[in-house]
Amino acid sequence: MPKVTTHNDRASLRLPSLFRRFSHHASDEQTQYRTLFADLSFTLERGDIVDLVGPSGSGKSTLLTTLAQLNPHASAELYLEGQPSTSMSPEWWRRQVAYLPQRPTLTGETVREAILMPFTLRVHRFGDDGTALTETRPDESMLRRTLDTVGCSDIELERSPQDLSVGQQARVCLLRTLLTVPQVMLADEVDAGLDEDNADKVGDMLSYAAREKGMAIIRVRHREADGRANRTMRLAAGVLTQVEGGETR
Amino acid sequence: MNTTTGSYPIDVLGLIITILLVAVAAGMSYAMRLGVHRQMLWATLRSLIQLLAMGYILKFVIEQNNPWLVFALIAVMILAAVQITMSRAANIPRSVMPSVLLTLTASVILQVCVVTELIIRPHPWYAPTVLATLSGMLLGNVVSAVAVAMSRFFADMEARRYEVEMLLSLGATPFEAAKPSIVSSVRLGMIPTISQLASSGIVLIPGMMAGQVIAGADPLTAAKYQFVVLAVISALTLMADSLIMVLIYRTSFTAVHQFITTSAH
Repeated sequence: MPKVTTHNDRASLRLPSLFRRFSHHASDEQTQYRTLFADLSFTLERGDIVDLVGPSGSGKSTLLTTLAQLNPHASAELYLEGQPSTSMSPEWWRRQVAYLPQRPTLTGETVREAILMPFTLRVHRFGDDGTALTETRPDESMLRRTLDTVGCSDIELERSPQDLSVGQQARVCLLRTLLTVPQVMLADEVDAGLDEDNADKVGDMLSYAAREKGMAIIRVRHREADGRANRTMRLAAGVLTQVEGGETR
Repeated sequence: MNTTTGSYPIDVLGLIITILLVAVAAGMSYAMRLGVHRQMLWATLRSLIQLLAMGYILKFVIEQNNPWLVFALIAVMILAAVQITMSRAANIPRSVMPSVLLTLTASVILQVCVVTELIIRPHPWYAPTVLATLSGMLLGNVVSAVAVAMSRFFADMEARRYEVEMLLSLGATPFEAAKPSIVSSVRLGMIPTISQLASSGIVLIPGMMAGQVIAGADPLTAAKYQFVVLAVISALTLMADSLIMVLIYRTSFTAVHQFITTSAH
């Protein structure tokens, strides 16, 4: 097993290899597979903001869902702080390596309920070995404070999530994941289709997460580079390369 | 089946008149272009043949009075019920068949133990008149509840795929991610059963009670029988409905708890 840095506040996510069989549903009875990429490998450090760019269909989303162990068509060898993903339950892995889907999906009657939903899940109540966790659920004042800190003071907690604008929904979804404090956040085009103002707020929230909470963040974006990323990687034709000097597309 | 005094057996003329009435109704459907005449006639014919066949089989089993024969008949009924459930439920993976078999078998065994041996206590204990008929009624109810619940479950999971993905990505277990679909499926499967239970006796005199009264039984005895049968069948249907959900929800997920959409089955 490869040795990985774990000293102090440095955590890393390693991905030594990755294979994916892509299922193409042209028609239901004919499932075709093609390999999007194989044997990719990279390391992510704590506090990193990495932009993942590349042509449409190159598998950027697939890469993110694979890292979160959400993709049934991919197999990968994953390590978090030296711990292989196979040493823990998929739930425990996803709690730490959180995938943030592009489409905002909020549950519950109010925004408050939607934001606090993750804390009702077993993974926030019990450890991977079944022992009860004494995790503190964000209280009212912390919730309000966080909303203000990340520029979401326009969001009322009592409202129905369905009444929010698309931009607000995207930010509430981001906030929901942020409050669970994962070690890695995989943001899949979370600013797509948003106006400049909302996209900027989303960018600020992610910067805040990396800077203040030490989360490692991978962003798939289709916008101009916003200067928040400290690295840019390009996925094209199954090859992952480091981009020097930043790139937008 | 009942040959006590006071019963009114149906002769061949009676059957012919019944079929004539169905034919008249089908004729009206044809005239009004309702488009159900063909299905109606076909279903009537099937039901006549199937019921008569069941009548002959029951008669044979009752006359033989052999416990093995009774259980063989029940086993065949369960297998047929599995087949009907699988064909009635839309868009479900074939892989759930063992779960359906297990659910139906468990509910019949429970019914035999509880109703037959604790509530009715027939002599002999395997009395085919009680065991076979009650199992048939139970299976009929469980089949429709389980078929409805399974169809709803897979359709609902498909409709909720973004929510399921979101829940899993936040660390939800497959059960937590599937729970809203499980709840709505169990409820939908139970609607006919519960409404039948609640409305019986007000306007509706359920088939079994009606049959017993027509055959000359004391209406109060018939009512007690009907209540026991309806209540127990409802309870067992709810158990079967919940059991099938617990058994099948995992088929929507891989071994590492990834969601598989129904189209990928």
